[in-house]
Amino acid sequence: MKKNKALLLSGPYILFMVIFTLIPLGVVGYFALTDPDTGAFTLNNLKNLALFLPTLGTSVGYAIVSALICLVLGYPVAYYIAHRKPLTQKILYMLTMLPMCMSFLLRTLAWVGILETNGIINTLLTGLGLPALELIGTPGAVILGMVYNYLPYMILPLYAIIVKIDRRLIEAAEDLGCNGVQVFSKVVLPLSTPGILSGLTMVFVPAVSTFYISQKLGGTETMLIGDVIERQFKYANNRNLGAALSLVLMLLVLVCTGIMNRFGGDEEGGVVV
Amino acid sequence: MKKTNRILTVLIFIFLYIPMAVLVVASFNTGKNLSVFESFTLNQYKELFKDKDLLALLGNSLLISILSTAISTAFGTFAAVGIHNLKPKMRKVVMSLTNIPMTNPDIVTGISLSLLFVFVGSNMLGQKESLNFGTLLIAHITFSLPYIILNVMPKLQQMNPALTDAAMDLGCTPVQSFFKVTLHEIMPGIVSGAIMAFTMSLDDFVISYFVTGSGFVTLPVEIYSYTKKPIHPKIYAMFTLLFVLIFVLMVTMNLLQIRGERKKEETYVKQEKPAMKIFRRVCAGVCALAVVLGCGWLIVNNQNKQVTLNVMNWGQNIADGSDGTTDIIKAFEEKYPHIKVNYSTYDSNETLYSKLKGGGLTVDLIIPSDYMIARMIAEDMLLPLDFSNIPNYKNVQADFKNTAYDPDNTYSVPYTWGTVGIIYNEKYVDGEDVTGWELLWNEKYAKKILMFDNSRDAFGIAQYKLGYDVNTMDEAELQACADELSRQRSVVRKYVMDQIYADMEGENAWIGAYYAGDCMMMMENNENLRFYLPENQGFNLFIDAMCIPSCAENKKEAELFIDFMCQPEISGANMDYICYGSPIEGARDYMDPELANNPVVYPDAEILKNGSSYAYLPEKTTRFVEDLFMKIRIE
Repeated sequence: MKKNKALLLSGPYILFMVIFTLIPLGVVGYFALTDPDTGAFTLNNLKNLALFLPTLGTSVGYAIVSALICLVLGYPVAYYIAHRKPLTQKILYMLTMLPMCMSFLLRTLAWVGILETNGIINTLLTGLGLPALELIGTPGAVILGMVYNYLPYMILPLYAIIVKIDRRLIEAAEDLGCNGVQVFSKVVLPLSTPGILSGLTMVFVPAVSTFYISQKLGGTETMLIGDVIERQFKYANNRNLGAALSLVLMLLVLVCTGIMNRFGGDEEGGVVV
Repeated sequence: MKKTNRILTVLIFIFLYIPMAVLVVASFNTGKNLSVFESFTLNQYKELFKDKDLLALLGNSLLISILSTAISTAFGTFAAVGIHNLKPKMRKVVMSLTNIPMTNPDIVTGISLSLLFVFVGSNMLGQKESLNFGTLLIAHITFSLPYIILNVMPKLQQMNPALTDAAMDLGCTPVQSFFKVTLHEIMPGIVSGAIMAFTMSLDDFVISYFVTGSGFVTLPVEIYSYTKKPIHPKIYAMFTLLFVLIFVLMVTMNLLQIRGERKKEETYVKQEKPAMKIFRRVCAGVCALAVVLGCGWLIVNNQNKQVTLNVMNWGQNIADGSDGTTDIIKAFEEKYPHIKVNYSTYDSNETLYSKLKGGGLTVDLIIPSDYMIARMIAEDMLLPLDFSNIPNYKNVQADFKNTAYDPDNTYSVPYTWGTVGIIYNEKYVDGEDVTGWELLWNEKYAKKILMFDNSRDAFGIAQYKLGYDVNTMDEAELQACADELSRQRSVVRKYVMDQIYADMEGENAWIGAYYAGDCMMMMENNENLRFYLPENQGFNLFIDAMCIPSCAENKKEAELFIDFMCQPEISGANMDYICYGSPIEGARDYMDPELANNPVVYPDAEILKNGSSYAYLPEKTTRFVEDLFMKIRIE
């Protein structure tokens, strides 16, 4: 009876997810292995991928750097929020969440206005008699865009974990003679590892696949794998090559999250913000 | 330690909110530039409320988010209960299935769904418009569901199983025990899942971008196309209003929650928590609203049996009523009240071609350039026009009939003609350097040069510079052009299409190559800009013409639109805004004389002799060039 109920309730969901997540990935695979003109089976799309390896490398590099910067910036913030009074915690949590609800396209566009050659920063600098800086179109600008957009994805899971750490454990460590640094490195940090790992994943995945940030803040040197994929679909009309690139991107992300989960041990539903 | 933490936190919050502050300030600015505050105004808000299309897009976004959240919340909650009762092994499998949309990059999810919808809808079911409201809704439900499941599951695990047993011992049926006991226990999970799903759905751009067809568009997708063109400040006004709205919503939610918790502590309420009661009402309200909106949408769609004419045009390529020009679309809709124009834009011939080839949408009218028209004719992508519906075709000048791309005048009616040249800023560029296309290679202006982001125009410039035929199919010559463009890469600031407006007008870049009419529009906004046509080396002379693609559903209405555009007074009024030459006899007389006599818009016949048109090249050459261009871009 119970078993029937379970299947009755979850069955439609399983069916839905198979149709709209697994089968589409199969379709991507089908496109990746067929010729754009004839529709016949071919390995050409996969062979052409070699051309894009440097682009893929750049994307992974940018994403890793952004994820690490987010960790360094986000951890103290999450720690600070987690140690406030409940009301303050709520307010700060809300303030972290709020930017995520606003159009990320327009917020990125605002950065263009800030970093432009004749943008806000340079207007201020020249106004003070200082030389203008070439900020836009650099790898730094793209990484800044990534950090800005995805920082909340780091802070929120970190906060969720840190706030759950039992205060008594910290007190116990202090009683046993640990100094501040030791308490942090031996108690707080190990206990917040799941948060760190899910934060890193949640920044890495969108960063490695972005195309808008690099288009707006980047220059000629900052074409990322997301740009290339978007271009195959929206400009070059080569959906088959685009599909092959998507497969590679997906495998890459799978491998990365796999590694993360290995470190963190898999917890059911641990990714919840 | 604590102090540094506090300072850092404050700094991070400033960092997070600075761009939003910039946008809020910009919404009160009279100027268009984000970095220069001219003077205070509320006009952008007035403009916003006048723009019914923009508000409709916001309505579309809300409709999709509310519907997808309501459906996925109900569906996901029941599914979570089911999954919770599955055997552990099976549960693990289902949970990894749930995690797929969570861990997959959005771009992959979007692409996979759009390929599925087009593949099944167009190829297997024979639907014309397989990317529609329904498929967009399915896509949103697909990525919303995991948020519900992942938030509800932990609550189910925390719940004491004895509670439901007790309820059933006391005579509840399983269904009753679910609604009376389980639902209460897991409500916080449902609410936070629903909120997350709603915000993700409302702000989703990437997945919607790939799954959207032509009929139903959400706000973020449209904003993306706005940010490719010079953006109108009313968008900032909308951002500000949304910001205030979401802020107020969040604060009220939190206040309610806090009040509920306090009350609970004070009075030890045995029944339902007040906050939960409120949340339940809110949820019920939201669901009811969704149903009402959904029905309303259906009714509106069925009631006004208006024909929706899907027109796709280049960005900045029709007079929109701003700066005292005629609003062409409005004038057309006034003349034909039963037709509603759904207008969208593309930024190059190649993106238009990709859109049509990608399938899944219906478009009734497009305005590609000559060589692309020839390609589309060759690939059976256009419908022959019924000229009995286009009596004004008689107004088309003889020079624009029997052209190389459409020799029998079967598929196209000309819209504009123009040239491709160089736009430069006199303030920074030495007049002596303006000698020809090589200006775009001049290292003196490194990183101040903008280059075309489409292969045909980029290669065309290299071909004129090297003295090759623009329609060469010789692979060695094409390779030489690619090398030339690759050499140029180090001085190029950016490869752009319509983004050139912002960079040239804002003087972030000094030199660029673009279409004459667009250059003219930039020159109107910045007096230091000049246009130069390298007449000795040669330049591209193009015709953009109106065509009906084979995916069209309203052919007759599209022909009415074409006919409308062939009236001299309409064409002339249109050219006043877009600054191109009109192929319609007499249209020039209706133009602003200053513009009609401007050599950028109407160059001398002597000069025009040096221009040449792009011809349609075979698929093999096109692909070869495209691959070369891709290599230059990712080098």
